[in-house]
Amino acid sequence: MQEKIYGYWLPLNVSTHGEAVDQLINVLHVFMALLFVGWGIFFVYCLIRFRQSANPTAQYEPIHAKPAKYIEIGVIVFEAVLLVGLSMPVWSDFKDALPSESEALTVHVMGEQFAWNVQYPGKDGVFGRKAPQFVTPENLLGLDPDDPNGKDDFNSINNLHIPVGRPILIKLTSKDVIHSFKVPVLRLTQDAIPGQEIPFWFNTTRTGNFDIACAQLCGLGHYRMRGQLHIQSQADFDAWLAEQEVEESDDEFSF
Amino acid sequence: MSVAHETHDDHGHHVELPFWRKYVFSTDHKVIGIQYAVTALFFLLFGFTLMMMMRWQLAYPGQPMPLIGTFFSEANMPGGIMVPEFYNQLGAMHGTIMVFLGVVPLAVGGFGNYVLPLQVGAPDMSFPKLNMASYWVFLPGGLIMLASFYAEGGAAQSGWTSYSPLSNTAPAGQTWWLIGMIFLITSSLLGSVNFIVTTIQLRVEGLSFFRLPFFTWAQFVTAFLLLLAFPPLEAAGVMQLMDRVAGSSFFLPSGLVISGQLLDVAGGGNPLLWQHLFWFLAHPEVYVLILPALGIVSEIITVNSRRPLWGYRTLVYSIISLGFLSFIVWAHHMFMTGMGTAMSNFFQTTTMIISIPSVIILTALALSLNGGSIRFPTSMLFALAFIPMFAIGGLTGLPLGLTAADLHLHDTYYVIAHFHYVVAPGTVFALLAGVYHWYPKVTGRKMNEALGKLHFWISLIGINVVFMPMFFVGMAGVSRRLYDQTQYAYGAQVQGLTAMSSWGAWFLGAAQIFFIINFFWSRKNGEKVESDNPWNATTLEWATPTPPPHGNFPEVPKVYRGPYEYSVPGAKSDFSPQHVEEG
Amino acid sequence: MIRKAIAVVAAALIASGSAFAGGDVSGKISWDGKAPGRKALKMQADPVCASKHTDKVLSDKVVVNENSTMMNVFVYVSKGLEDQKFDIPAEPAVLDQKGCLYSPKILGVMAGQKINILNNDGTLHNVHPKPKVNTEVNIAMPKFMKKKVVTLDKPEVMIPVRCDVHPWMSGHIGVLSHPFHSVSDGMGGFSLNGVPAGSYTVTAWHEVFGSKSMEVTVADGGSVAADFSYSMADFKKN
Repeated sequence: MQEKIYGYWLPLNVSTHGEAVDQLINVLHVFMALLFVGWGIFFVYCLIRFRQSANPTAQYEPIHAKPAKYIEIGVIVFEAVLLVGLSMPVWSDFKDALPSESEALTVHVMGEQFAWNVQYPGKDGVFGRKAPQFVTPENLLGLDPDDPNGKDDFNSINNLHIPVGRPILIKLTSKDVIHSFKVPVLRLTQDAIPGQEIPFWFNTTRTGNFDIACAQLCGLGHYRMRGQLHIQSQADFDAWLAEQEVEESDDEFSF
Repeated sequence: MSVAHETHDDHGHHVELPFWRKYVFSTDHKVIGIQYAVTALFFLLFGFTLMMMMRWQLAYPGQPMPLIGTFFSEANMPGGIMVPEFYNQLGAMHGTIMVFLGVVPLAVGGFGNYVLPLQVGAPDMSFPKLNMASYWVFLPGGLIMLASFYAEGGAAQSGWTSYSPLSNTAPAGQTWWLIGMIFLITSSLLGSVNFIVTTIQLRVEGLSFFRLPFFTWAQFVTAFLLLLAFPPLEAAGVMQLMDRVAGSSFFLPSGLVISGQLLDVAGGGNPLLWQHLFWFLAHPEVYVLILPALGIVSEIITVNSRRPLWGYRTLVYSIISLGFLSFIVWAHHMFMTGMGTAMSNFFQTTTMIISIPSVIILTALALSLNGGSIRFPTSMLFALAFIPMFAIGGLTGLPLGLTAADLHLHDTYYVIAHFHYVVAPGTVFALLAGVYHWYPKVTGRKMNEALGKLHFWISLIGINVVFMPMFFVGMAGVSRRLYDQTQYAYGAQVQGLTAMSSWGAWFLGAAQIFFIINFFWSRKNGEKVESDNPWNATTLEWATPTPPPHGNFPEVPKVYRGPYEYSVPGAKSDFSPQHVEEG
Repeated sequence: MIRKAIAVVAAALIASGSAFAGGDVSGKISWDGKAPGRKALKMQADPVCASKHTDKVLSDKVVVNENSTMMNVFVYVSKGLEDQKFDIPAEPAVLDQKGCLYSPKILGVMAGQKINILNNDGTLHNVHPKPKVNTEVNIAMPKFMKKKVVTLDKPEVMIPVRCDVHPWMSGHIGVLSHPFHSVSDGMGGFSLNGVPAGSYTVTAWHEVFGSKSMEVTVADGGSVAADFSYSMADFKKN
């Protein structure tokens, strides 16, 4: 990727809900800056105008702060608008408007110290049952060997491949401690909590390879719990999927 | 209202105490205040030093630390290069030490203890022995925290937030951390009871609640926060301790697989329970960090602008509502834990609402300057700087409190910049202001102004160089608590800003040398004050001899007016002390 | 008189010499039946690991050599040497992390012997053996750390070793109270040298197919053959 993805402010945005997030962040920061600068000018003005040498006798009566009262009310109204008008709808969309399993590509992601296990259901499209007692270095997901649906599941460790423009539903959990799945270009963070499966979704607007990071301290390897999000065209994604499915042979004679 | 006077024998004759009872195991609130303050200042320096070490690794990942790198053990810094485990230890202990061993003991145990009884006209706290106990429970807690670096596997390394299950499975230092926390929390609970009862019971005649200095109000509300918010964390600390040493599973779900092996625990617990219990304290805790600072700043600003505090009643109502609201915002630290819309909408709303009293208070402080006659001793410089710095910190809390923005900013450097702005150039500046301001009352001498101004300007510039870049580092997406952010493309992109923060931190650290020298040198060599009230202030602590003797007031004062009667038209001078009858 | 003296000295020499002579136990581990397949490892989980290999990397968990013998079987004297004390070798054992794989995959050391864990991969490895008897070791080896010395003080067979950053990395360390251990090589052969004369139980261990033992008697200067054989029948699904 030669183009600029990451800079000194918000990175490139490749998600569909990211635009609203960016709008909120940018509008809010403009508002914050205006408040700070305006209020700061008043502050500096007071320090200069009312320094002892310029104003030897202080005024006992308080100044009437009508402007301050109106500004305060304005601030409250603005915060309410941002809250109800921008933040709540985006959040509600992210949390409640989960796509159905038929239209979305569903992937199970299970964080562990210090890697992301990314489970695809394989050709049958059904996820195999998992349980902690089946975990081995070859079976990091803990797929139950007695479950036929799991035979074609595969674990694309640290590499999340998705087709562009299609809703992606992730079911996120953790094997050991709390991790957090963060992708800056998607404007997305979701904690991975052991003992819970948390669904979240997103949709993308363009292809590319982007960093996935862990955003909750999880031990000595936290800084290196890095994944890659591969957003591919449908054709490339299908090709990749086919390649993975061939590799996972259900051979009991393979170790 | 009687106060025990152990120094009086049965006939009321004054008995001279031995050195140990006078200066070590003293029940005098002033001695205890100084003990807390000096201990806390040491811990602040220590905690800051831990961070200065971390900043080397952050700026130059994987490089040997010059000069001092080889002083550390092979396990922690082989060849002078920090290992990730040690980095995590330094991080967790930096946060813990600064909050629980530095800022709160200085703000509440130090300033609160020394100044509050004086401001209400009392001879001591309501429960002097309890007061002594609170310090002597705090100190072992602090020493246990320091000693934990020598535990097997090192000190606590799961963040100051100690999230389960990570902290449950962490090395031995975490157990010491939990034990230390139990001591520290107990100490705070003992102290907070004292502050509340003293404020209610020991105010002198004429000192109604609405004539109390704002500093006292701030300490009073803070004490309620400590009293009500700490117990859940103490319980949670004991529960995590039991998980670690006694086989319970309060915070451990079933089926955990650590490093490929099934964890042999009962299971059935929930990691989120720890988070709720922790943050139920830790959010009010941050108001514990800020309220005393608001109190200190109010005193210094009014004294040095020679006019009353603007909107005193409004301020009092604001600080009370801030205290109350602080109990219902805690889950904004947990927005990303899988919370649904109902819960998160509630906490977003309360978080937005809590910004209102904060804005009112800051505005009132700024308005207090309008029409004043402002002097700029070092104490005033720090108190003034507090205001815009705290404003930056407070404003940047807004994106974090809105879940949609938090989706991007959660657990990034933006959060670190936000809370450091409120605590570091916020509270710590206010505390430094307080030291410069009350030093003459405690010692009879002023601190050196030239050194003070040098300390101020370098600190102000340095601290902004440290934390302003972090907003951008966070906006770029860089997570917190990363031993090496260059592992990520976006982290590598802003590594220059990170290095800049490190240099800012080292300059800031160097600037504190001026303060340390000034603090100790002025004790014997500072300019002697000519009166008991060198700043011409109105509040009662300036009505005592210098330093105040045991019992504080030779005659019990009576209060005739509010706390900020400066420049009253027609008055003899530009200040009308609370205890003087004629205006 | 002189002849008696010479006889005594000769006997003493022979007796003392026999403490140094010892015998050898060697053999091969054969595989019966069709060789199992080897799954591909997901090296692309870490681009640094992937860059160290040009071809697909296959798991070395079950490796059947071309001559139908097995590699990576740990062979050691399991019973009979409990009373004897042996010097800890001054030479450290070496466990390298190469191309994000443990090399050797199976390592035998003496209790108290230094182990040099190497990392020339230029990436973070997290050395995390999970012993049951020894103290747990869990250390980060960031890319700057090329070597870390570790000792395991108590005999324990076998300690699984894992890297938490690269979860397919799987090795084992066998810690013994004596130096008589060997790992079968690419020809399926192993050799225990200098075993003191006596009767012992020799055990072969494979991480998937388990342990097999046999009794041997070693004579001074002698060589004993001990062959083991594994097949799919030894595979217990659990």
